[in-house]
Amino acid sequence: MISFKNATVEYQPGVKAMDNLNLEIKEGEFVVVVGLSGAGKSTLIRTINNLVPLTSGELYVDGEAVHDLSRKKMRALRSRIGMIFQGFNLVDRATVLQNVLMGRVFKLPTWRTVFGAYPKKDQQVAAQALNRVGMLDRAYSRATDLSGGQRQRVGIARALAQEPKVILADEPVASLDPPTSHAVMQHLQKINQDLGITTIVNLHFLDLATAYGERVIGLREGKLVFDGPGSECTEEVFEGIYGRSLTAEDTLSEEA
Amino acid sequence: MTASKVELPKKPGIPGAIIFSLVFAFVLTVVTMITVEFSLTEILTNFGRRNLVADGLFNPDFGQILSERSLSAFIETLQLAVLGTVLGGGMSMFMAYWATEFGNPIRWLRAIVRTFNNVVRSIPDLLWALLFVTAVGIGILPGLLALFFFSMAVVTKLTSDTLDGIDMGPIEAAKASGSGLISMLRTAVIPQILPSYTSFVLYGFELNLRASAVLGLVGAGGIGSRIEFFRSRGDWSEVWGLVLMFFLVVFLVERFSVTIRRRLV
Repeated sequence: MISFKNATVEYQPGVKAMDNLNLEIKEGEFVVVVGLSGAGKSTLIRTINNLVPLTSGELYVDGEAVHDLSRKKMRALRSRIGMIFQGFNLVDRATVLQNVLMGRVFKLPTWRTVFGAYPKKDQQVAAQALNRVGMLDRAYSRATDLSGGQRQRVGIARALAQEPKVILADEPVASLDPPTSHAVMQHLQKINQDLGITTIVNLHFLDLATAYGERVIGLREGKLVFDGPGSECTEEVFEGIYGRSLTAEDTLSEEA
Repeated sequence: MTASKVELPKKPGIPGAIIFSLVFAFVLTVVTMITVEFSLTEILTNFGRRNLVADGLFNPDFGQILSERSLSAFIETLQLAVLGTVLGGGMSMFMAYWATEFGNPIRWLRAIVRTFNNVVRSIPDLLWALLFVTAVGIGILPGLLALFFFSMAVVTKLTSDTLDGIDMGPIEAAKASGSGLISMLRTAVIPQILPSYTSFVLYGFELNLRASAVLGLVGAGGIGSRIEFFRSRGDWSEVWGLVLMFFLVVFLVERFSVTIRRRLV
């Protein structure tokens, strides 16, 4: 489904956010990526939908060669990849439904988007997505009026409205409190199980990583330093990934 | 337990730059007053003198307003202001968008648009009118062109500043979902700036309405032409009648516009 081959991203000469990465992710997997901030987690996620292009190497996603893709095909690929952001990235002034309908934009002619004339069918897809995250009753609320957890659920609904094959989540719970974080992670997990959407989540809380990661990938300085099931992730493994001993800040719950 | 006494650190003195600026401003004012021969006594004695212009102010002739020619000039002024604002304000949405990095990825094209915006903004409304009167002749067209450029400049500037401050998150989200440039603009940018933009266009309308009165002075149509006509004949009662009427219209339109703008933002 997703395959990195000797993939490298260099922001400035000598500053590598991804260093000769080789990685295979199969369809339907739930992968959690861990690492310190600056280890290249966000870069890894953003190369998959080409928000960050590779400097060298190859990357294949859903049968497309991302490192060598026309603009048109790239947009088509992006429409098959839903993305969830740390800061939610919702339009605050717009309604929840309008935000979710953004996920339908690629499949519609531009004039329909310009006039906001979304067909019934697409509105139905958006409604289904909202229903799945339990936000259907807030469809006409403004995004500003929601709590953080609710906003992230709308963010998930927007990604779902794309009817994607892959979901990328970049630190989806970093701005949320612990109970809300678990709720959001459970939504992602359930979507992965019910719909079989390949899911890649960046996390920096290690207890969340072990709890939800079927497969955990550890990055340090852009290099792959761990790849294994969440159940195998001991404190020693994480210390190896982080290159230092763990502190209370590395876990979501207080007792670490 | 009483806290032990603490010494505040030494209070910083007034920076030299501020003292210098104040002295400089004072000296500049005095020098200017001397060079333009400002004299309070002269102003006061002139006030006491009999003055035809002031006489007209106390005897305004409102009859002019109902005369066919003045009335049609009035309507022309309103039409100028509305049309100039709609066209200029509409265009400014594009000009502002093309001046941003996310709306116009081509760097040299962006530089051209920005330079153009800056040049347009530095020309005042009356100068626009003069330019176009010279270029296309006396009439309503130069007035319309002047208001178009004037309001475009103002609204573009304000909208650009708003665009600079928008949340970039939704733009990233739109890109990530496969949106093209237009869809991205519509779904991620316009919803963020629409209330402010509408308010700016209304503000542009207020400015245009006021400007449209003076456009006529240089031959660019509207009520200004009538005012200039009576002024040149020395019919001050008629001039003041029209001016007061215009004041009333501007006042009412502004109240209305300000009320709407308050609700928007």
